[in-house]
Parts: sequence; C-alpha cells; structure tokens
Amino acid sequence: MHTAIIAQGISKSFRTGVFGPRKQVLHEVNLEVASGSIFGILGPNGAGKTTFISILATLLRPDTGQARVLGLDVVKDAARLRERVNLAASGAHFLWCLTVEENLRFYGRIYGLGGRALAAKVGELLDLFDLQPHRRVTFERLSTGLKQRLALAKALINTPELLFLDEPTTGLDPEMAQHSREEILRLNRETGLTILLTTHNLREAEMLCGEVAFLKEGRILARGAIPELQERLGLGDRLSLFFQDGPGTLDYGGLPGVLAFHIQDNRVDLRVDRVEQRLAAILEAISQTRSRVIQVQLKEVDLAEIYHEITH
Amino acid sequence: MRLPTDFYKIWAFSVRSALVNRRNVFAVFEMLFWPGVAIFSVGLLTRFLKLDAETVTFILIGAVSMNTIQIAQLDLSYALLYSVWAKSLKHEFMAPVRLTHILVGAGLVGLVRGFLVFVVMGLLSMWLFDMDLSRPGTGGLIIFMAGMFLNAAIIGASVLALVLRFGQRAEVAAWAFSYLMLLLCGLYYPVSVLPPGVREVAQIIPLTYFLEYFRHFYGFPLNYPHPLLYGFSLTVIYLAFCYALVHYTLNSALQRGTLLRLSE
Repeated sequence: MHTAIIAQGISKSFRTGVFGPRKQVLHEVNLEVASGSIFGILGPNGAGKTTFISILATLLRPDTGQARVLGLDVVKDAARLRERVNLAASGAHFLWCLTVEENLRFYGRIYGLGGRALAAKVGELLDLFDLQPHRRVTFERLSTGLKQRLALAKALINTPELLFLDEPTTGLDPEMAQHSREEILRLNRETGLTILLTTHNLREAEMLCGEVAFLKEGRILARGAIPELQERLGLGDRLSLFFQDGPGTLDYGGLPGVLAFHIQDNRVDLRVDRVEQRLAAILEAISQTRSRVIQVQLKEVDLAEIYHEITH
Repeated sequence: MRLPTDFYKIWAFSVRSALVNRRNVFAVFEMLFWPGVAIFSVGLLTRFLKLDAETVTFILIGAVSMNTIQIAQLDLSYALLYSVWAKSLKHEFMAPVRLTHILVGAGLVGLVRGFLVFVVMGLLSMWLFDMDLSRPGTGGLIIFMAGMFLNAAIIGASVLALVLRFGQRAEVAAWAFSYLMLLLCGLYYPVSVLPPGVREVAQIIPLTYFLEYFRHFYGFPLNYPHPLLYGFSLTVIYLAFCYALVHYTLNSALQRGTLLRLSE
C-alpha cells in the first residue's frame, strides 16, 4: 500500500486576540492515508478539521510535527506540492465579477496552463460539471449549487493527484449534494484520485469513505474502516426479535455473541457481535424454549452510532 | 523563471486585473474623470493666482505625477484586495504562484493604466495650459515615467504587505499611503519650503529626486547633485525591502492562519 499522507504529531494553536492566550486547536495528530482512497475526517464544528486539512494543503504551518503529502514535506516542499494537489471548500468563493469560464481560466493559468491545454481543460470541466450553459454567467449571479460545482471544477483544473475537500456538499440541496457525491466517487474510481474530505455529514462519509477518523477538540479519537471501528468498539449489529407470546425467561445475555440486550413487551433487542455468524445459533437456542419468534429484524450499526459512541 | 508556465501565471493576474477594471465603472472615473478634474482645478487655480508659466508647469507636473502614481499603484494594491473581498485568497495561495507572479502581473496593468492617465493629463495640460511636455525629450520622459512607476510599485508592494498582515482593514492604506508620500516629496512645492525635519524625510523618498530631475528641464535649479543616482538607488533599496516585507508577512500569514481567516 502506498501512503499519500503521513502526518506525525501535528499540533497547532492560535492566539485569541492581540494579547490573549493561545488556544490549542490540534494536539499531536497522527494520520496516514492510503493512495487512491477516500478518507474522511469527521467531527463536530470546532473540532479542528479545517485547521488540519489546511496544514496538509500548505495553507497553514504547524507549530510542531511533520506532515508529508505525496512524499513531499508540507512546509519545506510546499511550492512543489501545490502543483500536485488542490482544494474545494464549502461556501465557494471566487471573484464576483468574473464569469464561470473566466474564473476557471484564471485558476488554470495560475497552475501554469495556457493556450490549447488551458482551453481543453476548461472545456472538459465545464462539460463534466454541466457548467457549459452557465459559462458566461458572472460568479455573483450563480446559485449556491452552481457555485459549489464551480468550486469542484476549479479543484480539478490542475488534474491533481490528491484532492482536499472541506465540507464539499454543505449548502447544496439534497439532489445536488447527491450528484456531487456520485461525482467524487466516480473521480476516485476512474482516476485513482486520493481524496481527503472533512464532513460532519455521517451519511456522506458512509457513502464515500473507505476509512474515517474521528476528530474532537483537536484529537483523533478513533480511526479505521467503518466495519473495523464497529468491531473495535464492540458495538456489534442490532438484532430485534418479535415474539408471539412474549420472550419467556431465557437468559438472552448468555446467548452466543450477544453483547447487550433489552426486553420490551414482545420484543427483544440484542446487540450481537458478527450477527451473520451468530443468528442461526441464537434462533436455535430460542427454539428450544417455548417462545416462538414471528419476526426478525437486522440492522447494522451505522456511522452515527459509532460517532455517538466515540464522541460521548 | 520557467517559461511559459511563469508567463501564464503572470498573465493570469494581468487578465484578472484588466477584467475587473473593464467591468468597474469607477475604473473609468479613476482614469479619466478624477485626473481631468485635477488638471482643470489645479490649472484654473494657477490662472486665478496669475502665476508665471514656469511656476504653472512646476505645479502641473505635480498634478500629473500624483494622479499617474495613484492609478499605477492601485492595481498592485488591489491584487490581493480583490481576493480578500472575494474571500478567495486561500485558493490563490493554494496554487503554485510566487509573489513575483502577483506583483508583475497586476503591476503590468497598473503600468498601462498609469501611462494612459499620464498621456491624458499631459495632453490636457498642453492643450489648456500651454505646458510643454516635450521639453525634456523622449529620454527624459521615459526616465521620469520609470521613476513614477517604480515609486508606484513601492507603494503597491507596501499595501500588499499590509493586506497580508491586517486584511481588509488595510484597504484604506491603498489610498492613504500614496497621499502621504506625495505630500512629503514636494509635489506642488519645492522641498525647500518644507519645515525642518520633514525636509529630511523628503530626502529619503525617491520620488523627490525624480520630480527634481524632471523639473530641471524647465529651468528649476537642482537642489541635489545627482538626482537620478539617488532616486534609482533609493528605489532599488525600497523595492528590495518591500519584497522582503511582503515575503515576511506571507510567511507570518501562513503561521498565523491569516490566509484562512481572510477567506472566511
């Protein structure tokens, strides 16, 4: 596995006011992101997500620690790194009086594109993000969705090897947000583009990210693939059993793989470790009592539960 | 410099500056209306005071210089202010651009606009107030204009440094800085009339020497023996200092998170 990002012991603090105390925003954050993956950094507002991504994107220097992106040091090799990465952030902001096409041309040029190469790239991105009909509209007259599309198009102007997406779908309507997510997934699958995204939208992270890290108050609380986190945290899956005449007196906590249980009327909710392997044994144990199961509901633990478990 | 990528990066800032000016009605005012008003008001004032032709020329040179420098420095000063107003600063600095690209790119548009203002005001001065702009010859005119544009670059670069340090609050500096410099360099009067102490400050402003050089073609005595040597030497020192200052404030902005704050 090639590693696109290695961050070691990254700390950052900011002074509050002119003479105020320093506020620690990141505490010795360590992270590795594999090449070609979509990695999500999740956390509530003020967790330090944007600060961390900005350090990796060379827009901010860490107080301590070291980070290498695509093998380049984010401080010492910032100029070379900037040629190979790009960023799109929520609340797209570009020069108000330039049209969509002029904005893209401006960013193309500052990445060293010109002539036919620039025209071809701008045309390709206008097509890709369905911006052709709006190419002569000034930025100030675009809708929020179109502005965000332009932000994503701008982020691909230099054909980056790694893309930083800071809350990429914030402010978009559900349909456009979904379209953008599909576009992000497609880019990752078709081009192998490594993507590091921050979000507090857990559904978005579930849909996009192979791996996630939970950041809270500047510290990474947990990281890994979603099933891996689920197992590590011992959350298991949720299994609900509905009985015809009540659950009886069976010790549900003693059943194989059961981590926790809760009885309510004719229903028993179980948290089960690897439910697909345990279900047959659980039903077999119940069938040996007089209780009769009439319905089984299975629900995998979602990211929201993992998030809640970690951050509370 | 790696051509043509460096050329494209410089061109990006030139085109952006030109497009913003083209779509901004106030840019036309800046280039035609205010310089026109300045020449009319100053010229008519000289008539009212019944000044001799040499003194009128002395004052009109000041009026032309002031407006030319004001306009030429604006594009440079605005190079980052546009991004601050648009909240897009982080996208510009996320790209592999150097300060040179920004300074040269925006400066080129300032140079063109400044030149147009100089021509418009020069023609108005010749037509309305009989000022003989051709007397210093082509060489004298080119040297004087070079001096003015280099001084405009010093003001513009200083404002860039202030923008990187203070953000939008530095906007007022874009105008104030040049007025302060123009006040001290003997724009409408010889520096000899400045009070003691202030006169010494005028001697460390390069524009003082370029004005002195240009006016000597109209019969005004030189107060300093080698005005071009002093003028260009000081200009080089100030430009080097301003470049280092902008570099320092950019590094400081990367440390303090100013680029992010200015993009929110």
